[in-house]
Amino acid sequence: MPSLKDPTWSPYFAGVLIGLLQIPAFLLLNTALGTSSSYVTVGASLADLADPAVRTIPYAAKHLDGATNWWQVALVGGIALGALASSLRSGMRRRGVSPVWARALGTNSRLARFALAFAAGFVMLLGARIADGCTSGHGLSGIAQLAVASFIAVPAMFAGGIATALLLLRCV
Amino acid sequence: MSVFLAILLGLAMGAVFGVALEKSRVFEPGVIVGQMQLRNFLMLKMFLTAVATSLVAVAALHGFGLVALHPKPTMYLADVSGGGLLGVGVTLAGACPGTVAAQIGAGYRDAWFTLLGGLAGAVAFTYAEPVLRPVLLTGPGAMTLDLLVGIPFWQLALGLAALLAVVLMILEYRRPWRGEAGAAADGLLPEPLPRPVPAGGLAARRTV
Repeated sequence: MPSLKDPTWSPYFAGVLIGLLQIPAFLLLNTALGTSSSYVTVGASLADLADPAVRTIPYAAKHLDGATNWWQVALVGGIALGALASSLRSGMRRRGVSPVWARALGTNSRLARFALAFAAGFVMLLGARIADGCTSGHGLSGIAQLAVASFIAVPAMFAGGIATALLLLRCV
Repeated sequence: MSVFLAILLGLAMGAVFGVALEKSRVFEPGVIVGQMQLRNFLMLKMFLTAVATSLVAVAALHGFGLVALHPKPTMYLADVSGGGLLGVGVTLAGACPGTVAAQIGAGYRDAWFTLLGGLAGAVAFTYAEPVLRPVLLTGPGAMTLDLLVGIPFWQLALGLAALLAVVLMILEYRRPWRGEAGAAADGLLPEPLPRPVPAGGLAARRTV
């Protein structure tokens, strides 16, 4: 039986656990697993502080309030708490930046990595919102509902990701 | 459900999600970039297992009439361009929108910048959405494969789950998952040729 003290679990066991989370999502919240629209909920709430006119954009208004929107924000917060607890229990805490970046980028510069992380996060969420879903919303939930949109978006995601990794990054 | 209960439920479900991402090592930038370089298949194994499990769960819930489906609308241009951009971002971030949170929880500092960039990207999209809607975010509406091919949802979903299970068994037979994360479980594998890393920003792929 896998224990929280283990540094690694089988990806198959972890995958089954994540897939089973669809059951409470569908039964209790009438929604499917997803993470990227929570960025709109939090981002639009922050924008609302500086620019209350953001509420006049129907897309922002749709994401600002309600149980399902804040459930997803809590889900993403819970992911951080779960990873924190898991890494503490197994002694696998991480510090700074993954050593993989020095190899992939060819530089040890923290500043370069932080700048790239910000830019990558921007492109990632811009893309996820254009496609109306991310690795969870399209990848897990969309495919599981046999949505045609997801059978287009997920191969496009892997194509973009693989092309970028092979053309721009060094071998990790 | 009240917002308060929904938040409690979200935190509990997220905690399970976070533990699974941390233990499977799929939150590691090295594992995600390694997957995109087709050198490491932990991410695909975990992802396809979660997809297959989701298919079985949704097939059962929908098949017994317990839940309605919520397929996303088909928007050909947006699905291709948005999906492509998402993939570019996932590789350069070494994370996806959910695993960013796991990286923050596990202690990676750069993940905070990925999160900030993601919030900025979501806000930028929100302001651009009214302009993008008529040109990019349009399409024939929600479509599902079962209706296109005329097979009951639960049959096609279980069939696809069975196909994924076979793919996973072949993948595991050819590339066992144990040890795939590397000695420090961070996806950093022994270098093919030890040589000093030259200075400079993004560089072309190393030719070995």
